[in-house]
Amino acid sequence: MNILLAEDEKDLSRALVAVLEHKGYKVTAVYDGEAAVEAAKSGAFDCMVLDIMMPKMDGVTALKVMRDSGDTTPVIFLTAKAEMDDKVTGLDAGADDYLTKPFVMAELLARIRSLTRRSGEYKPKQLSFGSVTLDVSGQELISENSVRLAGMEANLMEFLMMNPNKSFTTEEIYSHVWKDATEGLDVVWIYISYLRNKLKSIVADVEINGDKDGSFILQSIR
Amino acid sequence: MSIYGEYEGTLQRIMEDIEGRLFAYQERVKSETNENAYEYILARIKTDESMREKCRRKGLPETAESALSKLTDAIGIRVICSFVDDVFNIVEYIRSFDDCEIIEEKDYIRHAKPNGYRSYHMILGVHTSESDVMGNTPGTFYVELQIRTIAMDTWAALEHRMKYKKDIPNQELLVGELKRVADELASCDLSMQTIRELINS
Repeated sequence: MNILLAEDEKDLSRALVAVLEHKGYKVTAVYDGEAAVEAAKSGAFDCMVLDIMMPKMDGVTALKVMRDSGDTTPVIFLTAKAEMDDKVTGLDAGADDYLTKPFVMAELLARIRSLTRRSGEYKPKQLSFGSVTLDVSGQELISENSVRLAGMEANLMEFLMMNPNKSFTTEEIYSHVWKDATEGLDVVWIYISYLRNKLKSIVADVEINGDKDGSFILQSIR
Repeated sequence: MSIYGEYEGTLQRIMEDIEGRLFAYQERVKSETNENAYEYILARIKTDESMREKCRRKGLPETAESALSKLTDAIGIRVICSFVDDVFNIVEYIRSFDDCEIIEEKDYIRHAKPNGYRSYHMILGVHTSESDVMGNTPGTFYVELQIRTIAMDTWAALEHRMKYKKDIPNQELLVGELKRVADELASCDLSMQTIRELINS
């Protein structure tokens, strides 16, 4: 795991680098906001630990620049100020978490673990039900034959395969899979229809039962 | 002298006969549904040169008997359809010919080949009043059919090029990519089929 540390207090920076490297992280240490922005552009970091009060460019401004350029790396702010305003400003600027100095090393480590957990562990790589396997990252649906799913089809299939033998209404499916899309509920029937034909084409022993505008359930073929 | 000898004319007639039946089927489907049964047909008699080369490759003597009795692809017909269901409809129509026997059929759509190839293959034994190379009267002549969608056809043409070109960089990677594309095209074919069903329902 790669961590970007932007902290202008050299002693603290040295100490943090030592502990983080001991724990197995690779650390890039910079000492001001401008260097942090540059490093973020060129490196692929799993997490960034930024001080707020830094020379050249402060942490909040640096983070705003990064977020505006599309960087979505998780960020923890470190700061000597414990005032509520700074916490709110920092979090609203795009930070995921906030630690006030002095802090306990164990707490920083736990928060880094917590932030980086989301990007790795929770997403299952492969889902199986009956004769069907869905390779989530490749969006490949496999049984006796195989086919690739595109876009929302893959999301819908993933949702159904994580919840087999459970009945969902069209509205429930729409709100879980399409979230706040603009297409309208009719899109659910179209995508269920696509998946039905694709399950048949790969000779699956499972099917999606249900009628237009009603409830749907993924279950074994009787 | 062509390897097909005196049977050249018969081969041409048989090919045109099967083509004609498919044309008639097309007319019927168009008038009943306003849609095509297929987009186009490619029909050909394997050239003398190709057939001789195949005989050599298979260790067979370059004779009419090899070409017309041991091998089955002297007459080749490829039917290209817009939609997957059209492919299966044509297969069933061909199955209904009562003067033809289905010697072999392989559904590579239901079970794509490992490299991603999809098509429906049929080998027909066409019974005709004319004598065949083995001296039978009525005789039997073979016709090999490949029925596929436009997407499957485009893919097959590309894959064919790849098979016969030497020194392709990243060969293994490209083979994997071709398989992925084949599965994506299959998915698109199914999506279009689904949309057609939804429109017609």
